[in-house]
Amino acid sequence: MAEVAYVEVGDRPIREVNAAIRAAVAEGRDVVVTNTLSRHNLGIGLPHGARVRFEGSVGYYCGGLNNGAQLEITRDAGWGLGEAMAAGEILVEGYVGMSAGASMRGGLIHIRGDAGPRCGVAMKGGDIIVEGRIGYLSGFMAHAGRIIALGGAGDACADSLWGGEVWVAGPIASLGVDTRVVEPDPSEVEAVEKLLASRGLEDSGRDWRKIVSAQKLWYFDSRDSRAWLMI
Amino acid sequence: MCGIAGRILGSLGTVGADLVAMMEAMVHRGGDSTGFALYGPRREDGYVVRVVGDDRDRLSDDLEAFLDVLRDCGADFLEDPTWDDTDQRHVSVRMVVTPPTVALADWVARADAITGFEIQSIGRSLEIVKDVGTAEEVAAKHGVEAFVGSHGIANARMATESRVSPTASHPFWARPFPDVAIVHNGQLTNYFLLKERLMRKGYRFLTENDSELIAVWISDQMAKGHDLESALEQSLRALDGVFTYLIATADRLGMAKDRWAIKPLAAVEDGPDLAIATEEQAVRKVYPGEVTVRTFDGPDQTSTWAVKQAEVV
Repeated sequence: MAEVAYVEVGDRPIREVNAAIRAAVAEGRDVVVTNTLSRHNLGIGLPHGARVRFEGSVGYYCGGLNNGAQLEITRDAGWGLGEAMAAGEILVEGYVGMSAGASMRGGLIHIRGDAGPRCGVAMKGGDIIVEGRIGYLSGFMAHAGRIIALGGAGDACADSLWGGEVWVAGPIASLGVDTRVVEPDPSEVEAVEKLLASRGLEDSGRDWRKIVSAQKLWYFDSRDSRAWLMI
Repeated sequence: MCGIAGRILGSLGTVGADLVAMMEAMVHRGGDSTGFALYGPRREDGYVVRVVGDDRDRLSDDLEAFLDVLRDCGADFLEDPTWDDTDQRHVSVRMVVTPPTVALADWVARADAITGFEIQSIGRSLEIVKDVGTAEEVAAKHGVEAFVGSHGIANARMATESRVSPTASHPFWARPFPDVAIVHNGQLTNYFLLKERLMRKGYRFLTENDSELIAVWISDQMAKGHDLESALEQSLRALDGVFTYLIATADRLGMAKDRWAIKPLAAVEDGPDLAIATEEQAVRKVYPGEVTVRTFDGPDQTSTWAVKQAEVV
Protein backbone atom coordinates (compact mmCIF):
# COMPACT_ATOMS: atom_id res chain seq x y z
CA MET A 1 0.00 0.00 0.00
CA ALA A 2 1.22 3.46 -0.90
CA GLU A 3 2.61 5.70 1.78
CA VAL A 4 0.33 8.24 3.46
CA ALA A 5 0.64 11.72 1.95
CA TYR A 6 0.73 14.69 4.33
CA VAL A 7 -0.62 18.01 3.08
CA GLU A 8 -0.10 21.13 5.19
CA VAL A 9 -2.66 23.95 5.00
CA GLY A 10 -1.34 26.88 7.08
CA ASP A 11 -1.44 30.11 5.07
CA ARG A 12 -1.21 28.42 1.67
CA PRO A 13 -3.78 29.28 -1.01
CA ILE A 14 -6.66 26.78 -0.74
CA ARG A 15 -6.53 26.07 -4.48
CA GLU A 16 -2.95 24.86 -4.04
CA VAL A 17 -3.87 22.74 -1.00
CA ASN A 18 -6.79 21.11 -2.82
CA ALA A 19 -4.60 20.45 -5.86
CA ALA A 20 -2.05 18.72 -3.59
CA ILE A 21 -4.82 16.58 -2.04
CA ARG A 22 -6.12 15.60 -5.47
CA ALA A 23 -2.63 14.76 -6.73
CA ALA A 24 -2.01 12.46 -3.76
CA VAL A 25 -5.42 10.84 -4.21
CA ALA A 26 -4.66 10.25 -7.91
CA GLU A 27 -1.54 8.36 -6.83
CA GLY A 28 -3.76 6.12 -4.74
CA ARG A 29 -2.44 7.42 -1.45
CA ASP A 30 -4.35 8.09 1.74
CA VAL A 31 -4.09 11.76 2.67
CA VAL A 32 -3.68 13.44 6.04
CA VAL A 33 -4.25 17.19 5.99
CA THR A 34 -2.53 19.10 8.80
CA ASN A 35 -2.57 22.59 10.33
CA THR A 36 -6.07 23.19 8.94
CA LEU A 37 -6.64 26.43 10.93
CA SER A 38 -10.42 26.37 10.25
CA ARG A 39 -9.73 27.35 6.62
CA HIS A 40 -12.61 27.23 4.14
CA ASN A 41 -13.29 25.02 1.09
CA LEU A 42 -10.95 22.17 1.98
CA GLY A 43 -11.33 18.88 0.10
CA ILE A 44 -13.94 19.98 -2.44
CA GLY A 45 -15.18 17.61 -5.18
CA LEU A 46 -13.06 14.62 -4.21
CA PRO A 47 -13.61 11.42 -6.21
CA HIS A 48 -14.70 7.92 -5.26
CA GLY A 49 -11.91 6.04 -3.57
CA ALA A 50 -10.25 9.07 -1.97
CA ARG A 51 -9.51 8.77 1.75
CA VAL A 52 -8.65 12.03 3.48
CA ARG A 53 -8.30 12.88 7.17
CA PHE A 54 -8.30 16.51 8.26
CA GLU A 55 -6.40 16.84 11.54
CA GLY A 56 -7.96 19.81 13.30
CA SER A 57 -10.97 22.04 12.71
CA VAL A 58 -12.03 23.03 9.23
CA GLY A 59 -13.97 26.09 8.01
CA TYR A 60 -16.87 26.45 5.59
CA TYR A 61 -17.89 23.95 2.88
CA CYS A 62 -15.41 21.21 3.72
CA GLY A 63 -16.09 18.12 1.61
CA GLY A 64 -18.55 19.98 -0.59
CA LEU A 65 -19.48 18.27 -3.89
CA ASN A 66 -18.04 15.04 -2.51
CA ASN A 67 -18.30 12.41 -5.23
CA GLY A 68 -17.60 9.28 -3.22
CA ALA A 69 -14.60 10.09 -1.01
CA GLN A 70 -14.30 9.06 2.63
CA LEU A 71 -13.43 12.09 4.71
CA GLU A 72 -12.73 12.45 8.40
CA ILE A 73 -12.41 15.63 10.43
CA THR A 74 -10.82 15.18 13.83
CA ARG A 75 -12.28 18.33 15.45
CA ASP A 76 -15.05 20.76 14.41
CA ALA A 77 -16.35 21.80 11.02
CA GLY A 78 -17.81 25.15 9.95
CA TRP A 79 -20.86 26.02 7.86
CA GLY A 80 -21.98 24.07 4.79
CA LEU A 81 -20.14 20.82 5.51
CA GLY A 82 -20.54 18.44 2.55
CA GLU A 83 -22.73 20.86 0.66
CA ALA A 84 -24.28 19.29 -2.44
CA MET A 85 -22.35 16.05 -1.98
CA ALA A 86 -23.43 13.19 -4.25
CA ALA A 87 -21.81 10.20 -2.57
CA GLY A 88 -19.23 9.11 -0.04
CA GLU A 89 -18.86 9.61 3.70
CA ILE A 90 -17.90 12.47 5.96
CA LEU A 91 -17.20 11.76 9.63
CA VAL A 92 -16.78 14.69 12.03
CA GLU A 93 -15.58 14.02 15.58
CA GLY A 94 -16.79 17.34 16.99
CA TYR A 95 -19.39 20.03 16.37
CA VAL A 96 -20.59 21.09 12.93
CA GLY A 97 -21.85 24.62 12.20
CA MET A 98 -24.84 25.76 10.20
CA SER A 99 -26.26 23.98 7.13
CA ALA A 100 -24.43 20.66 7.39
CA GLY A 101 -25.24 18.61 4.29
CA ALA A 102 -27.04 21.47 2.58
CA SER A 103 -28.55 20.28 -0.71
CA MET A 104 -26.76 16.94 -0.48
CA ARG A 105 -27.99 14.27 -2.92
CA GLY A 106 -26.42 11.14 -1.56
CA GLY A 107 -23.86 9.60 0.75
CA LEU A 108 -23.55 9.83 4.51
CA ILE A 109 -22.55 12.56 6.94
CA HIS A 110 -21.85 11.34 10.47
CA ILE A 111 -21.42 13.99 13.17
CA ARG A 112 -20.35 12.83 16.63
CA GLY A 113 -21.11 16.16 18.32
CA ASP A 114 -24.00 18.56 17.84
CA ALA A 115 -25.04 20.14 14.57
CA GLY A 116 -25.87 23.85 14.19
CA PRO A 117 -29.00 25.39 12.66
CA ARG A 118 -30.44 24.27 9.32
CA CYS A 119 -28.80 20.85 9.38
CA GLY A 120 -29.79 19.11 6.13
CA VAL A 121 -31.36 22.23 4.64
CA ALA A 122 -32.75 21.48 1.18
CA MET A 123 -31.23 18.01 1.14
CA LYS A 124 -32.25 15.81 -1.79
CA GLY A 125 -30.99 12.44 -0.62
CA GLY A 126 -28.52 10.55 1.52
CA ASP A 127 -28.31 10.37 5.31
CA ILE A 128 -27.13 12.64 8.07
CA ILE A 129 -26.49 11.05 11.46
CA VAL A 130 -25.97 13.42 14.38
CA GLU A 131 -25.06 11.79 17.68
CA GLY A 132 -25.80 15.05 19.50
CA ARG A 133 -28.55 17.57 18.94
CA ILE A 134 -29.61 19.16 15.66
CA GLY A 135 -30.07 22.95 15.76
CA TYR A 136 -32.82 25.42 14.93
CA LEU A 137 -34.68 24.86 11.62
CA SER A 138 -32.98 21.56 10.89
CA GLY A 139 -34.31 19.82 7.79
CA PHE A 140 -35.68 23.12 6.48
CA MET A 141 -37.19 22.54 3.02
CA ALA A 142 -35.54 19.15 2.61
CA HIS A 143 -36.89 17.16 -0.34
CA ALA A 144 -35.58 13.67 0.31
CA GLY A 145 -33.17 11.73 2.46
CA ARG A 146 -32.97 11.13 6.20
CA ILE A 147 -31.72 13.22 9.08
CA ILE A 148 -31.21 11.08 12.19
CA ALA A 149 -30.59 12.92 15.46
CA LEU A 150 -29.84 10.92 18.59
CA GLY A 151 -29.62 13.85 21.01
CA GLY A 152 -32.80 15.79 20.30
CA ALA A 153 -33.64 18.79 18.14
CA GLY A 154 -33.86 22.58 18.48
CA ASP A 155 -36.74 24.86 17.59
CA ALA A 156 -38.73 24.66 14.37
CA CYS A 157 -37.57 21.11 13.71
CA ALA A 158 -38.19 20.00 10.10
CA ASP A 159 -39.75 23.35 9.21
CA SER A 160 -41.34 23.38 5.75
CA LEU A 161 -40.18 19.86 5.07
CA TRP A 162 -41.07 19.04 1.47
CA GLY A 163 -40.15 15.37 1.54
CA GLY A 164 -37.68 13.14 3.29
CA GLU A 165 -37.63 12.22 6.95
CA VAL A 166 -36.30 13.61 10.19
CA TRP A 167 -35.79 10.98 12.89
CA VAL A 168 -35.28 12.26 16.41
CA ALA A 169 -34.50 10.37 19.60
CA GLY A 170 -34.53 12.77 22.52
CA PRO A 171 -36.40 15.99 23.20
CA ILE A 172 -37.60 18.27 20.39
CA ALA A 173 -37.76 21.96 21.39
CA SER A 174 -40.54 22.63 18.88
CA LEU A 175 -41.77 21.39 15.52
CA GLY A 176 -41.66 23.57 12.42
CA VAL A 177 -44.43 24.53 10.02
CA ASP A 178 -46.17 21.82 7.99
CA THR A 179 -44.76 18.85 9.86
CA ARG A 180 -46.36 15.61 10.97
CA VAL A 181 -45.03 13.16 13.53
CA VAL A 182 -45.82 9.63 12.39
CA GLU A 183 -45.41 6.18 13.86
CA PRO A 184 -42.60 4.53 11.90
CA ASP A 185 -43.09 1.04 10.49
CA PRO A 186 -40.99 -1.62 12.22
CA SER A 187 -39.16 -2.17 8.93
CA GLU A 188 -38.24 1.50 8.81
CA VAL A 189 -36.98 1.44 12.40
CA GLU A 190 -34.99 -1.65 11.54
CA ALA A 191 -33.41 0.12 8.57
CA VAL A 192 -32.45 3.15 10.69
CA GLU A 193 -31.09 0.99 13.51
CA LYS A 194 -29.15 -1.08 11.00
CA LEU A 195 -27.54 2.06 9.59
CA LEU A 196 -26.70 3.23 13.11
CA ALA A 197 -25.30 -0.18 14.03
CA SER A 198 -23.04 0.00 10.98
CA ARG A 199 -21.61 3.14 12.57
CA GLY A 200 -21.15 1.48 15.95
CA LEU A 201 -24.25 3.09 17.42
CA GLU A 202 -26.36 0.10 18.44
CA ASP A 203 -29.14 0.86 20.93
CA SER A 204 -32.50 -0.88 20.77
CA GLY A 205 -34.04 1.34 23.45
CA ARG A 206 -34.42 4.54 21.48
CA ASP A 207 -37.74 6.32 21.52
CA TRP A 208 -38.03 7.49 17.93
CA ARG A 209 -40.13 10.22 16.54
CA LYS A 210 -40.28 10.25 12.77
CA ILE A 211 -41.22 13.61 11.27
CA VAL A 212 -42.49 13.94 7.72
CA SER A 213 -44.11 16.67 5.66
CA ALA A 214 -47.79 17.35 6.38
CA GLN A 215 -47.89 18.34 2.70
CA LYS A 216 -50.11 21.37 3.22
CA LEU A 217 -47.51 23.63 1.69
CA TRP A 218 -47.32 21.49 -1.44
CA TYR A 219 -50.21 23.45 -2.89
CA PHE A 220 -51.25 26.96 -1.98
CA ASP A 221 -54.58 27.13 -0.22
CA SER A 222 -55.79 30.44 1.15
CA ARG A 223 -57.03 28.61 4.26
CA ASP A 224 -53.40 27.77 5.01
CA SER A 225 -52.21 31.34 4.65
CA ARG A 226 -51.15 31.48 8.29
CA ALA A 227 -48.80 28.59 7.78
CA TRP A 228 -47.34 30.28 4.71
CA LEU A 229 -46.84 33.51 6.61
CA MET A 230 -44.82 31.67 9.23
CA ILE A 231 -42.18 30.66 6.71
CA MET B 1 -22.08 40.36 3.79
CA CYS B 2 -19.49 42.15 5.99
CA GLY B 3 -17.06 40.72 8.51
CA ILE B 4 -16.80 41.84 12.10
CA ALA B 5 -14.27 41.15 14.82
CA GLY B 6 -13.50 42.00 18.42
CA ARG B 7 -10.55 41.60 20.72
CA ILE B 8 -10.00 41.97 24.45
CA LEU B 9 -6.59 41.79 26.06
CA GLY B 10 -6.20 41.21 29.79
CA SER B 11 -3.47 43.85 29.87
CA LEU B 12 -2.61 46.63 27.41
CA GLY B 13 -1.22 45.11 24.24
CA THR B 14 -1.26 44.80 20.48
CA VAL B 15 -4.99 45.12 20.03
CA GLY B 16 -4.53 47.06 16.77
CA ALA B 17 -2.26 44.44 15.20
CA ASP B 18 -4.55 41.60 16.31
CA LEU B 19 -7.64 43.23 14.82
CA VAL B 20 -5.80 43.98 11.58
CA ALA B 21 -4.74 40.31 11.32
CA MET B 22 -8.33 39.17 11.86
CA MET B 23 -9.73 41.68 9.37
CA GLU B 24 -7.15 40.79 6.71
CA ALA B 25 -8.34 37.19 7.02
CA MET B 26 -11.91 38.32 6.20
CA VAL B 27 -11.17 40.69 3.32
CA HIS B 28 -13.34 38.47 1.08
CA ARG B 29 -16.35 39.50 3.21
CA GLY B 30 -16.06 43.15 2.23
CA GLY B 31 -13.42 45.47 0.88
CA ASP B 32 -15.43 48.65 0.36
CA SER B 33 -14.26 50.09 3.61
CA THR B 34 -12.68 48.94 6.85
CA GLY B 35 -12.81 50.42 10.30
CA PHE B 36 -11.51 49.92 13.80
CA ALA B 37 -12.81 51.09 17.18
CA LEU B 38 -9.73 50.98 19.36
CA TYR B 39 -9.64 51.47 23.11
CA GLY B 40 -6.37 52.80 24.44
CA PRO B 41 -5.40 53.63 28.02
CA ARG B 42 -8.15 55.66 29.66
CA ARG B 43 -7.41 59.40 29.80
CA GLU B 44 -8.57 61.18 32.93
CA ASP B 45 -7.41 64.53 31.58
CA GLY B 46 -9.64 64.68 28.54
CA TYR B 47 -11.12 63.06 25.45
CA VAL B 48 -9.72 61.73 22.24
CA VAL B 49 -11.74 63.06 19.30
CA ARG B 50 -11.60 61.50 15.87
CA VAL B 51 -12.89 63.59 12.97
CA VAL B 52 -13.11 63.13 9.20
CA GLY B 53 -13.05 66.29 7.12
CA ASP B 54 -14.40 66.31 3.56
CA ASP B 55 -11.86 68.73 2.19
CA ARG B 56 -8.18 68.77 3.07
CA ASP B 57 -7.80 72.27 1.59
CA ARG B 58 -10.27 73.57 4.14
CA LEU B 59 -8.62 71.88 7.12
CA SER B 60 -7.15 74.95 8.83
CA ASP B 61 -10.51 76.79 8.63
CA ASP B 62 -12.34 73.75 9.98
CA LEU B 63 -9.87 73.31 12.83
CA GLU B 64 -10.25 76.95 13.73
CA ALA B 65 -14.05 76.67 13.75
CA PHE B 66 -13.78 73.51 15.86
CA LEU B 67 -11.46 75.23 18.34
CA ASP B 68 -13.91 78.15 18.60
CA VAL B 69 -16.66 75.71 19.60
CA LEU B 70 -14.35 73.99 22.06
CA ARG B 71 -13.42 77.26 23.74
CA ASP B 72 -17.07 78.37 23.88
CA CYS B 73 -17.72 75.11 25.73
CA GLY B 74 -14.89 75.68 28.19
CA ALA B 75 -12.48 73.23 26.57
CA ASP B 76 -9.28 73.42 24.57
CA PHE B 77 -6.82 71.27 22.69
CA LEU B 78 -4.69 69.28 25.09
CA GLU B 79 -2.32 68.27 22.31
CA ASP B 80 -1.81 69.66 18.82
CA PRO B 81 -4.19 67.96 16.38
CA THR B 82 -2.63 65.47 13.97
CA TRP B 83 -3.91 64.14 10.63
CA ASP B 84 -3.04 61.65 7.93
CA ASP B 85 -0.34 62.71 5.53
CA THR B 86 -1.83 61.73 2.18
CA ASP B 87 -3.01 63.60 -0.91
CA GLN B 88 -6.55 62.25 -0.63
CA ARG B 89 -9.21 64.91 -0.43
CA HIS B 90 -10.74 63.64 2.80
CA VAL B 91 -8.65 64.02 5.91
CA SER B 92 -8.70 62.04 9.18
CA VAL B 93 -7.92 64.19 12.19
CA ARG B 94 -7.05 63.11 15.73
CA MET B 95 -7.39 65.55 18.59
CA VAL B 96 -7.04 65.34 22.34
CA VAL B 97 -9.18 67.91 24.13
CA THR B 98 -9.83 68.91 27.72
CA PRO B 99 -13.28 68.09 29.08
CA PRO B 100 -15.87 70.76 28.26
CA THR B 101 -17.66 72.55 31.08
CA VAL B 102 -20.99 71.97 29.30
CA ALA B 103 -22.70 68.62 28.82
CA LEU B 104 -20.92 66.46 26.25
CA ALA B 105 -24.08 66.27 24.15
CA ASP B 106 -24.30 70.07 23.94
CA TRP B 107 -20.70 70.38 22.88
CA VAL B 108 -21.16 67.68 20.22
CA ALA B 109 -24.32 69.39 18.96
CA ARG B 110 -22.44 72.63 18.50
CA ALA B 111 -19.48 70.95 16.81
CA ASP B 112 -21.90 69.13 14.50
CA ALA B 113 -22.97 72.51 13.11
CA ILE B 114 -19.61 72.63 11.31
CA THR B 115 -20.51 70.84 8.09
CA GLY B 116 -18.07 68.58 6.31
CA PHE B 117 -15.91 68.18 9.42
CA GLU B 118 -17.62 65.32 11.16
CA ILE B 119 -16.87 63.81 14.55
CA GLN B 120 -16.42 60.03 14.23
CA SER B 121 -15.81 59.27 17.89
CA ILE B 122 -15.29 60.80 21.30
CA GLY B 123 -13.98 58.88 24.25
CA ARG B 124 -11.72 58.72 27.24
CA SER B 125 -10.21 55.67 25.59
CA LEU B 126 -12.10 55.11 22.31
CA GLU B 127 -10.70 56.07 18.92
CA ILE B 128 -12.56 55.15 15.74
CA VAL B 129 -10.34 54.86 12.69
CA LYS B 130 -12.22 54.08 9.50
CA ASP B 131 -11.76 54.67 5.83
CA VAL B 132 -12.51 53.35 2.38
CA GLY B 133 -10.36 50.39 1.32
CA THR B 134 -9.32 46.96 2.54
CA ALA B 135 -8.02 46.14 6.02
CA GLU B 136 -4.46 46.20 4.73
CA GLU B 137 -4.91 49.60 3.07
CA VAL B 138 -6.71 51.24 5.96
CA ALA B 139 -4.32 49.78 8.55
CA ALA B 140 -1.28 50.98 6.61
CA LYS B 141 -2.68 54.46 6.07
CA HIS B 142 -3.66 55.00 9.70
CA GLY B 143 -0.97 53.01 11.50
CA VAL B 144 -3.56 50.77 13.15
CA GLU B 145 -1.14 47.91 13.80
CA ALA B 146 0.91 50.08 16.16
CA PHE B 147 -2.09 50.83 18.37
CA VAL B 148 -1.67 49.59 21.93
CA GLY B 149 -4.82 49.19 23.98
CA SER B 150 -7.14 47.01 26.01
CA HIS B 151 -9.83 46.10 23.48
CA GLY B 152 -11.45 46.95 20.19
CA ILE B 153 -13.86 45.99 17.46
CA ALA B 154 -13.56 46.11 13.69
CA ASN B 155 -15.55 45.76 10.49
CA ALA B 156 -14.93 45.00 6.84
CA ARG B 157 -17.86 46.38 4.93
CA MET B 158 -19.71 45.20 1.87
CA ALA B 159 -22.12 48.10 1.48
CA THR B 160 -25.76 47.19 0.95
CA GLU B 161 -27.80 49.94 2.61
CA SER B 162 -26.00 53.23 2.12
CA ARG B 163 -23.13 54.94 0.37
CA VAL B 164 -19.47 54.03 0.54
CA SER B 165 -17.49 56.76 2.28
CA PRO B 166 -15.25 57.07 5.33
CA THR B 167 -18.12 58.31 7.49
CA ALA B 168 -20.54 55.61 6.25
CA SER B 169 -18.05 52.89 7.26
CA HIS B 170 -18.22 50.96 10.48
CA PRO B 171 -17.62 51.09 13.41
CA PHE B 172 -20.25 53.62 14.39
CA TRP B 173 -19.99 55.77 17.43
CA ALA B 174 -23.10 56.05 19.65
CA ARG B 175 -23.38 59.82 19.25
CA PRO B 176 -23.07 61.54 21.77
CA PHE B 177 -22.21 58.78 24.28
CA PRO B 178 -18.45 58.67 24.87
CA ASP B 179 -16.63 55.37 24.43
CA VAL B 180 -19.50 53.40 22.85
CA ALA B 181 -19.02 51.86 19.40
CA ILE B 182 -20.65 49.19 17.30
CA VAL B 183 -19.97 46.95 14.32
CA HIS B 184 -22.79 45.13 12.58
CA ASN B 185 -23.11 42.34 10.05
CA GLY B 186 -26.57 42.33 8.49
CA GLN B 187 -29.39 44.63 7.50
CA LEU B 188 -32.10 46.20 9.62
CA THR B 189 -35.54 46.74 8.13
CA ASN B 190 -37.09 48.94 10.82
CA TYR B 191 -34.18 51.26 11.50
CA PHE B 192 -35.96 54.19 9.92
CA LEU B 193 -38.81 53.96 12.40
CA LEU B 194 -36.57 53.60 15.46
CA LYS B 195 -34.26 56.33 14.20
CA GLU B 196 -37.22 58.69 13.78
CA ARG B 197 -38.24 58.05 17.40
CA LEU B 198 -34.72 58.66 18.66
CA MET B 199 -34.41 61.84 16.60
CA ARG B 200 -37.61 63.14 18.17
CA LYS B 201 -35.90 62.61 21.51
CA GLY B 202 -33.06 64.83 20.33
CA TYR B 203 -30.50 62.32 19.06
CA ARG B 204 -28.68 63.09 15.85
CA PHE B 205 -27.29 60.69 13.29
CA LEU B 206 -24.36 61.34 11.02
CA THR B 207 -25.29 58.86 8.30
CA GLU B 208 -28.17 57.05 6.62
CA ASN B 209 -26.61 53.75 7.68
CA ASP B 210 -28.90 51.29 9.49
CA SER B 211 -26.11 50.17 11.81
CA GLU B 212 -25.59 53.61 13.35
CA LEU B 213 -29.08 53.21 14.83
CA ILE B 214 -28.04 50.19 16.92
CA ALA B 215 -25.27 52.08 18.72
CA VAL B 216 -27.54 54.95 19.69
CA TRP B 217 -30.54 52.70 20.46
CA ILE B 218 -28.51 50.55 22.88
CA SER B 219 -26.97 53.63 24.50
CA ASP B 220 -30.42 55.20 24.91
CA GLN B 221 -31.62 52.04 26.66
CA MET B 222 -28.61 52.20 28.96
CA ALA B 223 -29.22 55.91 29.60
CA LYS B 224 -32.72 54.87 30.72
CA GLY B 225 -31.16 52.62 33.33
CA HIS B 226 -30.82 49.26 31.62
CA ASP B 227 -27.54 47.44 31.89
CA LEU B 228 -25.76 46.30 28.75
CA GLU B 229 -27.05 42.73 29.06
CA SER B 230 -30.66 43.81 29.28
CA ALA B 231 -30.29 46.34 26.43
CA LEU B 232 -28.80 43.63 24.21
CA GLU B 233 -31.59 41.24 25.13
CA GLN B 234 -34.26 43.81 24.29
CA SER B 235 -32.63 44.58 20.95
CA LEU B 236 -33.44 41.02 19.82
CA ARG B 237 -37.09 41.99 19.53
CA ALA B 238 -36.86 45.74 18.96
CA LEU B 239 -34.60 45.44 15.93
CA ASP B 240 -36.11 43.82 12.86
CA GLY B 241 -33.93 42.30 10.21
CA VAL B 242 -30.89 40.10 10.18
CA PHE B 243 -28.04 41.01 12.43
CA THR B 244 -25.08 39.86 14.39
CA TYR B 245 -23.43 42.83 16.01
CA LEU B 246 -20.68 43.61 18.50
CA ILE B 247 -20.87 46.59 20.81
CA ALA B 248 -17.98 47.94 22.85
CA THR B 249 -17.97 50.31 25.81
CA ALA B 250 -15.10 51.54 27.97
CA ASP B 251 -15.14 48.32 29.98
CA ARG B 252 -17.40 45.79 28.23
CA LEU B 253 -17.83 44.03 24.93
CA GLY B 254 -21.15 42.49 23.95
CA MET B 255 -22.75 40.58 21.10
CA ALA B 256 -26.32 40.00 19.94
CA LYS B 257 -27.66 37.75 17.21
CA ASP B 258 -31.15 37.85 15.73
CA ARG B 259 -33.89 35.24 15.72
CA TRP B 260 -33.12 34.06 12.17
CA ALA B 261 -29.54 32.95 12.87
CA ILE B 262 -28.10 33.98 9.53
CA LYS B 263 -24.88 35.81 10.40
CA PRO B 264 -22.04 33.77 11.89
CA LEU B 265 -19.81 34.50 14.88
CA ALA B 266 -17.11 32.47 16.63
CA ALA B 267 -14.97 33.21 19.67
CA VAL B 268 -12.01 32.01 21.66
CA GLU B 269 -12.32 32.87 25.35
CA ASP B 270 -8.89 32.65 26.92
CA GLY B 271 -9.01 33.77 30.54
CA PRO B 272 -9.29 37.57 30.45
CA ASP B 273 -8.59 37.59 26.70
CA LEU B 274 -11.15 37.29 23.94
CA ALA B 275 -10.92 36.99 20.17
CA ILE B 276 -14.23 37.01 18.35
CA ALA B 277 -14.99 37.24 14.65
CA THR B 278 -17.51 36.42 11.96
CA GLU B 279 -15.30 33.55 10.79
CA GLU B 280 -13.43 31.07 12.96
CA GLN B 281 -10.47 31.15 10.57
CA ALA B 282 -10.04 34.85 11.41
CA VAL B 283 -10.02 34.15 15.15
CA ARG B 284 -7.34 31.57 14.52
CA LYS B 285 -5.07 34.27 13.12
CA VAL B 286 -4.47 35.15 16.78
CA TYR B 287 -5.00 31.60 18.11
CA PRO B 288 -3.22 29.36 15.59
CA GLY B 289 -3.05 26.37 17.95
CA GLU B 290 -5.85 23.89 18.56
CA VAL B 291 -8.23 25.78 20.85
CA THR B 292 -11.78 25.48 22.04
CA VAL B 293 -13.92 27.70 19.83
CA ARG B 294 -17.30 28.90 21.03
CA THR B 295 -19.65 29.35 18.10
CA PHE B 296 -22.77 31.48 18.10
CA ASP B 297 -24.66 29.61 15.41
CA GLY B 298 -28.09 29.45 17.04
CA PRO B 299 -30.79 32.15 17.07
CA ASP B 300 -31.60 34.74 19.73
CA GLN B 301 -28.32 35.04 21.56
CA THR B 302 -26.57 37.71 23.56
CA SER B 303 -23.36 37.62 25.53
CA THR B 304 -21.03 40.08 27.22
CA TRP B 305 -17.42 40.09 28.30
CA ALA B 306 -15.66 42.33 30.80
CA VAL B 307 -12.54 44.28 29.95
CA LYS B 308 -10.03 44.42 32.73
CA GLN B 309 -9.78 48.16 33.27
CA ALA B 310 -6.72 49.55 31.57
CA GLU B 311 -4.42 51.57 33.78
CA VAL B 312 -4.37 55.35 33.56
CA VAL B 313 -1.53 57.04 31.69
